[in-house]
Amino acid sequence: MTTHLPAKHAETGGGRDLKKADEAALLDLLETLEHKHGFIPREISEELTRVIEVRLERLRRIQGKLDSTIRRDVKVHVARWREEEGNLIMILHAIQNQHGYVPREVAMELARELGVKLARIYEVITFYHYFRLQPPGAHSLTVCNGTACYLKGSADLLNESRSRLGVSEGQTTADRQFQLEVVRCIGCCGMAPAVVVDGQTHGRVKTSDIPGLIEAAKKQESKK
Amino acid sequence: MPAPVQRRILLAHIDEPGYTSDIDCYLRHGGYGVMKRAIARQPEELIDEVKKSGLRGRGGAGFSCGLKWTLVDRKSGKPVYLVVNADESEPGTFKDRHLIHQDPHQLIEGIMITCWANNVRQAYIYIRGEFPQGARILERAIQEAREHRFVGRNILGTAYSCDVFVHRGAGAYICGEETGLIESLEGKRPYPRIKPPYFPAVLGLYQCPTIVNNVETICHVKHIADMGGDAFARIGTPNNTGTRIYCVSGHVRRPGYYEFEVGRITLGQLLYEVCGGPRPGRTFKAVIPGGSSAKVLKFGERFRVKLREGSMAEWSVEDIPLDFDYLSACGTMGGSGGVIVMDDSVNMVEALANINAFYAHESCGQCTPCREGSLWMRKITTRMVHGGARAQDGELLQSVADQIAGRTVCAFGEACAWPTQSFVQKFGDEFRQYAETKKTAKPVTPLV
Repeated sequence: MTTHLPAKHAETGGGRDLKKADEAALLDLLETLEHKHGFIPREISEELTRVIEVRLERLRRIQGKLDSTIRRDVKVHVARWREEEGNLIMILHAIQNQHGYVPREVAMELARELGVKLARIYEVITFYHYFRLQPPGAHSLTVCNGTACYLKGSADLLNESRSRLGVSEGQTTADRQFQLEVVRCIGCCGMAPAVVVDGQTHGRVKTSDIPGLIEAAKKQESKK
Repeated sequence: MPAPVQRRILLAHIDEPGYTSDIDCYLRHGGYGVMKRAIARQPEELIDEVKKSGLRGRGGAGFSCGLKWTLVDRKSGKPVYLVVNADESEPGTFKDRHLIHQDPHQLIEGIMITCWANNVRQAYIYIRGEFPQGARILERAIQEAREHRFVGRNILGTAYSCDVFVHRGAGAYICGEETGLIESLEGKRPYPRIKPPYFPAVLGLYQCPTIVNNVETICHVKHIADMGGDAFARIGTPNNTGTRIYCVSGHVRRPGYYEFEVGRITLGQLLYEVCGGPRPGRTFKAVIPGGSSAKVLKFGERFRVKLREGSMAEWSVEDIPLDFDYLSACGTMGGSGGVIVMDDSVNMVEALANINAFYAHESCGQCTPCREGSLWMRKITTRMVHGGARAQDGELLQSVADQIAGRTVCAFGEACAWPTQSFVQKFGDEFRQYAETKKTAKPVTPLV
C-alpha cells in the first residue's frame, strides 16, 4: 500500500489553512480509499488526525484572543454610550458597524456588561430589520420595493437580481461575495426604481443595468 | 386657479449650484441670524408666533403645532424633551431626506428655536436606520454648530444650554409613530403606547413631557420666527397655512419634490402642469395623495364638497386643492405629502398586493387586529396574484380591513386598512375581473 497524502495536504500541518477545495479533495480521496480497501489505512488516518489536531489548536488560540478582544470592544462601545439612557440601539449599531452583524458571543458579553438579560437584547435585535444575526456578504445588493419603486418595475429588478446571483432576498451567495436584500422605501421615490449597491444608491435602474452593477461592485473589490 | 408657481421657502437653497451642507455656506446665506434674534426674545412670544402662524404638522396627521406646544405639561418640574421625527418611512415620501441631506443647518436652527421657545435642554433627532448618510451629515452639522456655540453649553454666550443628539433607528416603520418612536429612543421594541394616559406632551420620553415634531414642521418654525406668525398665516389658505413640500412619484414625466403654498394648487395642476402629465400614450388611473396609507383617488370620480365660503361644489380628482381640509373632505388625506401616481398600465390588485406586503411586514405585532389582519390581507392578495383569485376576494378583503381600523392602539391600524378599503371600494370591478382572467397568468412577484 503506497498511497500517501498529496504533498499539499502533508504541508497543511505547517499552519496553512485547509481550503475548501482541499477539503473536497480530501473527502474524495478518503472515499476512493474506502471503496478500494473497505477501510481507511492506518497511516492515513493517523496523518489526518495530526493535521486536524494542529488546526484545532490554532482555532483555540484564535478563539482565546477573540474572547478578550470582544470583551474589550464591548467595553468601549458601552462606555461611549453609557451616559445616554436607552443606549442599546446605538450600541448595537456600533457593534454591527464593527462586525457586520451582531455575533452571539458579543451579544452575550454585552448583556453581562449592561447587566441585563440576554433575552432583552435579542428582543431588540430580532425586532429591528437592520440588525443581522448572520455575517453579511462582502457586497450587498438591495432592491427597493416601496410602492413607488414597485410601480416603476422593482419586481423585475428583483427577479433579475435573484437569477443573476442565484439567491433569494435575505440570502448570501455560497462564496459569501454578494447578499441580496429587499428594502421598503428608502426615500428615493422621485428616482424610482432604486437599487442600493454597497451603500451607493442608484436611481432609474433598468433590468439590463443589474449585471453591470454586480460586476462593478466585484471589480471594486479586486482593485483593493 | 392661476398657473402654479413654486414658493420655495424650505427648499430656498436646495439644489442651488454651489450650496453645500457646510456651516460656512449656511452662514454666508444669513444662517443662524433668525436664531440670534429669537434667543433675544421671550419664549412665550415665540410660542405665540407659532400659534398665530396656524402651522399644522407635516408628518401626516396635520395636527396644529402651536396647540401641541401649548399642551406640554410645564408644571410637573420634569425636563421637557424635543424629539425630531426623521423616521421618514412612508412609501412615496422623500422630503425629509432632502431637507437633511442638503440643508441640515436649517433643521438645526429650527430645533434650537423650538428648544428655546419650550425651554428644552435636550433634543433628539430620531433618523431612520436606512439613512446612514443622513445621520453622518447631521452629526457633522451638529458638531460644526457646537463649535460656533449655536448648540451645546452657553449658547451664544447666554446662560442657556441645550444639546442635540442624533439617534439612529434600525429599520422599523412603526418608529414613525410618536409613542413608538419614544419607546425606541428608550432602547426598546417600538410598541406604541396607549393614549390616554401616554400623551407625549405629558408622559413622553422617560415619562417626561415631550414634543415630537416632523423635520419639515421644525424647519418651518425657523421661518415663522423669521417672518412672524401673521405673515406666515397669510401664505397658503385659511387653516392650511404656509408652504408644503409635495413629493411626486410614480407614473408622471417629471417626478420630484416641489414646494407650494398649501391649498393654492390643485392635484390636476400638480400632475399636469408641474410634473408634465402622464407618460406618452398613457392616461392617469389613480393617485394616492398623502403617502401609501392615504386612501386612493380614482380619476373620473366626482366629489361634492362644501367650500369654506359655505357653498357647495362638485369636483373631479383634478380639481381638488392640495390642502388638509379639502383632501379629508374628499375622503382621503394630505398625510405626509407623498403623491403616488398610477397610470393605466397598473393593475390595482397587484399594486394593493405590494402595499399589503409592506404593512404586513411592518405591523409591530402588539395589537391582535392589526397583526393578524394585515397578515391575512397579505395572504389574500398574494394568493390572488399567484393565480388563486376568487370572485368574492374583494368582499373578504373589505371585511378584514373593516375589522382592523379603529381597533388598535395606534393609527397603524387605519394606515393598513385604508388602502385595502379604498382599492376594493373604488376598483371592485378589477378585483372581480382578476378572478376570471388571471387564473392562469404567470405569477408576478411584487411581494416581499
